[in-house]
Amino acid sequence: MIEISGLHKTFNANTVNEVHALKGISVAIAPGDFITLIGTNGSGKSTLLNAVAGSFLPDQGKIIIDTEDVTAKKDFQRAKFMSRVFQNPFMGTATQMTIAENLHIAYLRDQESLPRIRLDKARCEAYREAVKALEMQMEDRLDNIIGSLSGGQRQALTLLMAVLRRPKVLLLDEHTAALDPKSANQVIRLTQNFVEQGNLTTLMVTHSMQQALQVGNRTIMMNKGEIIDDISLKEKQRLTASDLLDKFADLRKSERLTDEMLEELRREYI
Amino acid sequence: MELWVGALNLGFLYAFMTMGVFITFRIHDFPDITVDGSFTSGAAATAVLIAAGFNPPAALLAGMLIGMAAGAVTAWIHARLDINGLLAGILVMTGLYSVNLHVMGRSNIPLLNQATLFTWMQKINPGMHAEIWISCVLCVILAVFWLGMSLFFRTDLGLSMRATGNNPVMAAANGVNVNRMKIFGIALANGFVGLSGGLVAQYQGFADIGMGIGSVVIGLASVIIGESILRKPSIHVKVIGVIIGSVVFRWMIAFALYVGMNPIDLKLLTAGFVLATLVISGAVGKPESAKMTWAERFKAAISHNRMMIAVGGIVILAISIPGIRALLTHRPDAGKIHRIGIVQIVDHSMLNVTRDAFLEEMNRIGYQSGKNCLFQVENANGDMSSVNTILDKFLADRMDVIVPISTGCTQAAMHKIKDQPIVFATVANPFIIDAGRSDTDHLPNVTGVYGSVPMDKVLEMVRQVRKGKIRIGSIWDAGQVNSVYNVEQLKQVVQQDADVVFVGATVTGSSEVFQAAQSLAQQQIDMFVLAPDNIVYSALDSVIKVSESKKIPMVITDVERLSDGALCALGYDYATSGIQAAHLVDRILKGESPGSIPFEKYSRLTIGVNLRAARQMGIAIPSELLDRTTVIIAEDGKVVQKKELIHKAVQAKRLALFQFGDNELMNQAAHGVLDELKVQGVMETYPLRIDRKNAQNEFYMAQSIAQEIVSQNYDYIVTLSTPALQVTAQVNKLIPHIFGAVTDPYRMGIAKTQQDHIPNITGVATFQPVEKTIQVMREIFPRARRIGIVWNPAEACSEACTYKARDEVGKQGFELVEVNVSSTSEVMDAVRSLLTRGVDLFLTSGDNTVNMAFNSVAALLRERRIPYFSNSFSDVERGGFIAVGADYEEVGRETARMAARVISGEDVGRIPINNYLPEKMYVNRMLAKEYGMELPEAFLNRAAKIR
Repeated sequence: MIEISGLHKTFNANTVNEVHALKGISVAIAPGDFITLIGTNGSGKSTLLNAVAGSFLPDQGKIIIDTEDVTAKKDFQRAKFMSRVFQNPFMGTATQMTIAENLHIAYLRDQESLPRIRLDKARCEAYREAVKALEMQMEDRLDNIIGSLSGGQRQALTLLMAVLRRPKVLLLDEHTAALDPKSANQVIRLTQNFVEQGNLTTLMVTHSMQQALQVGNRTIMMNKGEIIDDISLKEKQRLTASDLLDKFADLRKSERLTDEMLEELRREYI
Repeated sequence: MELWVGALNLGFLYAFMTMGVFITFRIHDFPDITVDGSFTSGAAATAVLIAAGFNPPAALLAGMLIGMAAGAVTAWIHARLDINGLLAGILVMTGLYSVNLHVMGRSNIPLLNQATLFTWMQKINPGMHAEIWISCVLCVILAVFWLGMSLFFRTDLGLSMRATGNNPVMAAANGVNVNRMKIFGIALANGFVGLSGGLVAQYQGFADIGMGIGSVVIGLASVIIGESILRKPSIHVKVIGVIIGSVVFRWMIAFALYVGMNPIDLKLLTAGFVLATLVISGAVGKPESAKMTWAERFKAAISHNRMMIAVGGIVILAISIPGIRALLTHRPDAGKIHRIGIVQIVDHSMLNVTRDAFLEEMNRIGYQSGKNCLFQVENANGDMSSVNTILDKFLADRMDVIVPISTGCTQAAMHKIKDQPIVFATVANPFIIDAGRSDTDHLPNVTGVYGSVPMDKVLEMVRQVRKGKIRIGSIWDAGQVNSVYNVEQLKQVVQQDADVVFVGATVTGSSEVFQAAQSLAQQQIDMFVLAPDNIVYSALDSVIKVSESKKIPMVITDVERLSDGALCALGYDYATSGIQAAHLVDRILKGESPGSIPFEKYSRLTIGVNLRAARQMGIAIPSELLDRTTVIIAEDGKVVQKKELIHKAVQAKRLALFQFGDNELMNQAAHGVLDELKVQGVMETYPLRIDRKNAQNEFYMAQSIAQEIVSQNYDYIVTLSTPALQVTAQVNKLIPHIFGAVTDPYRMGIAKTQQDHIPNITGVATFQPVEKTIQVMREIFPRARRIGIVWNPAEACSEACTYKARDEVGKQGFELVEVNVSSTSEVMDAVRSLLTRGVDLFLTSGDNTVNMAFNSVAALLRERRIPYFSNSFSDVERGGFIAVGADYEEVGRETARMAARVISGEDVGRIPINNYLPEKMYVNRMLAKEYGMELPEAFLNRAAKIR
């Protein structure tokens, strides 16, 4: 489904702040793969996600999605068949518009916005059903603006919006990191349900080793802009969170990980 | 009424612009300053096309399209070139200035005589008042607009647009092409702004290059006002909030004008208001406030922004104090009905005149019977006890002010009423009835208008008719204090003239007057001289009978009764008394205490002669008396008002002096107008009140002022400067209007020729003597070649002068080197650039922008030894070399002279426009010496002034 080859990206080139964020990433993702992406801060996992989403154009390399070369396409063009959920619950919705209106924007993902009214009663009813399935008590608040919702509710809604028109690729960028544990669990459960039901090809960046192992069928570890490990489902079932940490510890031995980075991993991941 | 309706219409027209601002600021969260330019663009395109003969809707569409184009450019610069939005707007707005000037071809396009949407509307007017009809039509249009916009925002496109503005990241993630949507949205918004500009241009009757300045702020203020009034997040409500906000903003301006607030403070007030609204609504945006009640929101807002509220509050308070005070002491508000009781002792012409003039004047200054005021007019028919009954009734009816007319009534009223305001009128001497000790030291609840007929003047008149020894006879009611007082005065002056003998007869009622007159006739009197006495005058016919049968001429003190058969009369015009009393009542109703209002004297004397009576009695009226008369009863009995305006004159007239902005020349002109009106004597001859209006260089303010002048029914309008003329001409179709300080009224559509002009508008066209100046240049500098000129193409007057200069330089063998500027700050650089290009002489003509930098320009030119010519007389004082032209004060005076003609009763339609071509020359000989030049004596002799 996704074919990434030789992807390079350097930010702030030729300045003191130069960062070589992606150093020749190549990876093939099969249809229906649910990949969790882990790595230290600055390892390039979010950058990789953004490259797939089209937030920026790579310096080198190719991205092919479903046989189509999308490397030069803008984010809104890719959004026709790809959707994403952001870490910040404020990012994924238009806060001054109602729940129904937001869902309708998502509904228009792969269609032209023409001056005609299609947000009618029937559509609202369909949205109500979809929102009801979230079990977040939002089905009676379809006409409320997003501004009045909690972070968990917003993130669940953004997720719903992302899958409302079945995307070819679903991108999740630490979408539970800003939520309280209860909401985070709820959202993860919803994510698993949606991916499973839709058999969606999914890329999920996470900070939690636990989550990385429990969710999805494949885990990719990144460090300093490179993929350092690609763990299959079988292997995942064997591993524990501390095993993963040990993998990072091995990196240290080969001088690729500093003590501070390891400390940070320990602090954040367990 | 008209003021509010006019403001409503403006609000409706500006609602389209407000919608544009709403879309940019609120939907797109994009601070778009393009609006200031695109508003003018819309107006410019519409006006140009209408003037070219296109039909108004097509022209309006073009206005909208040019607005859209402007918006699209801004958004494109922002989105594609990644320039900050605010900066992109400023860039386009700045650029549009040139574009607009190109589109218009000049700085101002008049539409006065063109078919516009509004003239079309009037064609199908079913007979309503024009402004109200416009309101009705606009109401329907805006209802459709509201519906259309609300529905649009609910379409897929509208939703995507709102999402883009609200959260561009989310929109992009959902497949919306954010840049394209932004371009579309900003273009649409500026399309509405252009549409609004086109409508306003048609409504106000012209497009001007400066009309868009400040639109963004107005739009933003309107949006915020709308939001603070209607707080529901529903898009329907938001759209109607835009319209309502626009209207309310206009009403605020109208209100500020209505209460007489200084327009200078208005902008500060607007800013303060917007700030306060922002601060308070700041709490609304926070999620936790969604369920708050109004009171809670307010509390939250206050606790969050204590400091800002405090500062804002102080500012607003400081600004609004004069406004509130003005409001408290101004006209009656609609809610309160004032009750005014008027009582007169008897049906007597002098008292009737007072009463009628009082009622008429009250009505004129805004007290309309049945609407905001109840007048109860009572007449005691000569019965003192009835007066008391009437006063009791007034007390029972809780009258706010009681107006006793005549001394007797006043006395009774003062006696009975101690705590209600009393305003007396037509009282000879309030001091003898103990109303007070002096004009300022009087009873706390009493004030009024008084004046006794000057008996010395009456006797003087008697002596002009009858010289030598005479006996005069007088009748009076000894029971009336004022009569006694008047007669005492007469006796006193008689004593000073040894040749006059006084014979008196007293009466106790009107039935005795005939007998008294006969008894006087028997006592061989030569003349009846009747001092003011209500009883005697109510039975004046009895005296006349005796006078006619015995051929004893009669001199009276009431000109109104002259035609009854008296020979001559000298007295006050009692209408003045009524008018003055009306103004005192007005002051009391506005909150002043009667105790603090000094008594007023009426001082307008009228003298009348009855030529028919003179002939019957065989008396020759000496010419020196005839010269002084204001009323003559001709031999055929016809009343001839010798000065036609006597009647008009007694009513205080109001003149609005309206100048567009505060600049040196306009202020000079205004000063000239005010001073010359005094010189012409119109201020004294006709009680004339002058109210000055100043639009602070703002077109929107100018419109409101013009509407206010019309709605307040001013008697005359004097405007200074072209925009003031244009704005007023569009609104005012009836009030005599005299303009001044206008370069070319013909181009404005005010007139075709000097004689053929709009019937109620005439004035002074001040052409700058550009040709003459250039001829003078040639005369003094035979070998000079290049003339430098710096001018602002946005100024109509400057433009006209430059065109003239271009024509004339060719004839004189010069070359004109031009540099354009758009603001005063650029002038010095422009002059320097000309100096590097090499010029021999320098000219400034009719350009306000350069004028403001005149001193600096003159100093620089002096340093470079380049003679500086200009067309404003006073420029030499500021360092110019030779000025040929008008002193603007003189222009003001010329305007005032024309105004004086109109005030004296001439028909405006018949007064031709005065093409005032001032060619006064002022020469700076000092500077010539400095340059080492000797100016020829013959030339200097032609100068009006030499420095």
